[in-house]
Amino acid sequence: MGASNYLLSLLLLLPLLGAVVIALSPRANVGLQKTLGMAFSLATFALSLLLVTGFQPVAEMQFVERYDWIPAYGISFHLGVDGLSLWLVILTTFLTPVALLGSWSSIEQRVKEFNVFMLLLEVGMLGVFFALDLFVFYIFWEAMLIPMYFLIGIWGHGRRIYAAVKFFLYTMAGSVLMLVAFLVLYKETGAVGFGLAELLRRPVDPALQFWLFLAFALAFAIKVPMFPFHTWLPDAHVEAPTAGSVILAGVLLKMGGYGFLRLAMPLFPQAALEMAPWIALLAVIGIIYGALVSLVQPDMKKLVAYSSVSHLGFVMLGVAAFSTTSVTGAVYQMLNHGISTGALFLMVGMLYDRRHTREISEFGGLKTVMPWFSALFLMVGLSSIAVPGFNGFVGEFLILVGSWRAFPGMVIAASLGVILAAAYILWMIQRVLYGEVTNPKNEKLADLSPRELAVLLPLVFLAVYMGIFSPQFTRTIEPSVAALVRDVRAAGAPAHNAAALPAAADAR
Amino acid sequence: MFAVDLRPLLPALIVAVTALVVLLAQAFTPKGSRSPSMGLTATGLAGALLLSLTMAADARYGRGASTGGTYVADDFALFFHVLLIGLALMATLLSPAYYRENGGERGEYYTLMLFSLVGMLGLVSTTEMISMFVALEIMSVALYALAGTRRDQIESQESALKYFVTGAFASAFLLFGMALLYGLSGSTQLARVARGVAEAGPEQLPLAVLGCGMLIVGFGFKVASVPFHMWTPDVYEGAPTTVTALMAAGVKAAAFGGFLRVFLGSLSGRLPDGTYFSAEWIPALAALAAITMVIGNLGALAQSNLKRMLAFSSVAHAGYLMSGMVGQSEAAGQAVLFYLVAYGAVNMGTFGLLASLSKGGREPLSLQDVAGLGERRPALAAALTVFLISLTGVPISAGFVGKFYLFGAAVNAGYTSLAIVGVLMSVVSAFYYLRVVVAMYMREGEGEDAWAVPEASARLSLLVAVVVTLGLGVWPAPVLDLARAAALAL
Repeated sequence: MGASNYLLSLLLLLPLLGAVVIALSPRANVGLQKTLGMAFSLATFALSLLLVTGFQPVAEMQFVERYDWIPAYGISFHLGVDGLSLWLVILTTFLTPVALLGSWSSIEQRVKEFNVFMLLLEVGMLGVFFALDLFVFYIFWEAMLIPMYFLIGIWGHGRRIYAAVKFFLYTMAGSVLMLVAFLVLYKETGAVGFGLAELLRRPVDPALQFWLFLAFALAFAIKVPMFPFHTWLPDAHVEAPTAGSVILAGVLLKMGGYGFLRLAMPLFPQAALEMAPWIALLAVIGIIYGALVSLVQPDMKKLVAYSSVSHLGFVMLGVAAFSTTSVTGAVYQMLNHGISTGALFLMVGMLYDRRHTREISEFGGLKTVMPWFSALFLMVGLSSIAVPGFNGFVGEFLILVGSWRAFPGMVIAASLGVILAAAYILWMIQRVLYGEVTNPKNEKLADLSPRELAVLLPLVFLAVYMGIFSPQFTRTIEPSVAALVRDVRAAGAPAHNAAALPAAADAR
Repeated sequence: MFAVDLRPLLPALIVAVTALVVLLAQAFTPKGSRSPSMGLTATGLAGALLLSLTMAADARYGRGASTGGTYVADDFALFFHVLLIGLALMATLLSPAYYRENGGERGEYYTLMLFSLVGMLGLVSTTEMISMFVALEIMSVALYALAGTRRDQIESQESALKYFVTGAFASAFLLFGMALLYGLSGSTQLARVARGVAEAGPEQLPLAVLGCGMLIVGFGFKVASVPFHMWTPDVYEGAPTTVTALMAAGVKAAAFGGFLRVFLGSLSGRLPDGTYFSAEWIPALAALAAITMVIGNLGALAQSNLKRMLAFSSVAHAGYLMSGMVGQSEAAGQAVLFYLVAYGAVNMGTFGLLASLSKGGREPLSLQDVAGLGERRPALAAALTVFLISLTGVPISAGFVGKFYLFGAAVNAGYTSLAIVGVLMSVVSAFYYLRVVVAMYMREGEGEDAWAVPEASARLSLLVAVVVTLGLGVWPAPVLDLARAAALAL
């Protein structure tokens, strides 16, 4: 096996090393810092592709590593990847260089710190997806807040400080109760340490499950964000610099859904299945509400930000319905959202770099001035509204089909969200790209530079590729999801056979 | 009778002798020539630290020994020896620049600091109540004087007076509590007190509870728990910053050391009816911990002066520590000890950083004063950020691991609600700690950079604080193990 035994650690160490190297580099040499940031993030991406090539489409955890960390308390640095996390890991390593390249020329101040924080953020995100120990999970989960806080607060726009502090406090408030829930779980199950596999073997009393699930769900619902915990998101997204928005929308928002699937549902199956209708309800409210609010936004970035609330509502609907199809769709939709919304944020940022405004009414007729931009913007928009042939279609379709049996009424309501999404995206595209050039300031706008094309083309390519060749991805996602659904459904059934549970957990 | 084992006293003796040497050296130093006080103090402390480490490493050098049954060198005492001497050493390295900028270096400053350290060492090592009281007074009296060493400043004088009056008040409570327990058990030896309490019948139990309550009040003053915290903001603000650092880091640790030894070590025994005596005071301690966390954090929220803010934060941290103590078990003791290390390093670092920036009688005390520090002093701002992150309890820092174990101990004892209060208050604390980070990184500094460049010794001290804070966050296992061994010695 050789190096693949240490692949996950290497993936954590490489960006960390990059951050240290950049921190020690001479302050004046801005070009060097940018290049180093790029080089380390690209190297991390290249390394992460080894995960894809070495991955077997089975349910088991792969590339598992385990080191004693605080041995006296059974806490170990336990890492692994399965179908749930594999592509989210790739998404993270892919979006980091994209975001860095996207803000190559728009970040001019404190370039050194910017690159350091971006790489540290990458370490944090990867750590969350790798973690198989609750303590490790929490460490990365919270540590990730700090670089993001700085990214918003230092390089953000107008009300950046407000947005940064709000982001930090909101997320921390959600997660600290989860920490208490960890401690209670540890005490009540009598587990040795915080290893996920170990905890899964020890069923929790149903009455207690409810409270613990609630604590976990709060942390994850804030991160997703689910209605009504979404109020931090528009502020954070709009005030963050482009790279921050891309990572925030592309990866950080996925951690909520991932947390539900990886921790909250398998640890508390009964409570999870009991609460599922409520989660679905909130998800559908989020879908409709996010779409309606997007519809009336005069600011493009705000529009994209609220559209995330709507899109993540689909993901959560799929999670709540909890069938193999719907959860596979939810995982797939997380990837899609990362790509299409990441691209939308990048493109809005490119317009902002040119005009220093994001008001839709300031634009119009860009199709004639910026043909390349317009073509790509249209494609990204179509991907975002899930037109067949694009990635979004596959995800939303799987979610809606997979959720039909559990929540037919909600699926109908959610379909309304699909229509609304088409409305707000197409209406924005129409107002920005088509018609006459009404504003003289837009007449001389430069089309995409080679760098900007290099940023966008991979994203657009993936949006199409993932729309057509989706089985290549779902093939690896599905086994893990199927095992998860089977175990949770078995353990969560009202009159489940207690003896069946350890066996099911072992089988994972 | 003559074979008295003096080894447990040796570290404290070295510190005391150093204090005297510094005093004499100062007297014989010709006017105008460079004072040797700092060098002598640092050397003496380094020697004491080395000796403590040696003792801790091997039983042949006095680990586990006892001087006449009243002064011991058990794992618990040695753990605190290393911590307290280390903190004093850090404070010493921070001091010369601060005193040069703020009105003259004085030999008696170091002497007083060393004497106060002798008191701290005694407080954590003694197993007898009168010695404990004497040690506490040695520590406190030296600190009263230290708080007033900036004679030109009215705040410093106020601080000294306030500390003295409230401190004397606290001592009285403590002494009264000790007297009651003596009346109950007929001895001042903690071991005998423990037996006396355990054998107390129903008619003597109120006496024990009352004595216990008095002791809680006395220790509550010293660790700055609500409602005995009123002195803290004024004293922390008025005292010279290096002294504040020693108070926040060292005195709190020593006071908790005494607190733990008396309460977890002696007043937790099983009563004749099968219940534990700790059941009498744990609920009170839990209630105090809860209000201390709430009031401390809400108080800090309202402060604009950094030293006052940190004073309230120190109150809040007394609350976190007490909620760990509620757990009673050795895991609880371990959590408290680990957190004292984490908290000591962080506070020494935070106050030390403010002190080492001071120039021409001014030091950075407001958010405007630290605005733009992120660009002007990247290394110092990064260090302060690490400290503040640790105080908030966010990973990867010692503060996170510490709080994890403190609240874990509370949850294990069935006080989940206390842990919930604690973590929610940590979120509140994030707000006021972040304000400082916001000022440093997200606001522009106004005017010229008016602050001093910390000198090498101060930088060394700050570096140690950063390394400990991050190191314990990444690799806490060794110190956790030591803390466990120390807690088991109780």
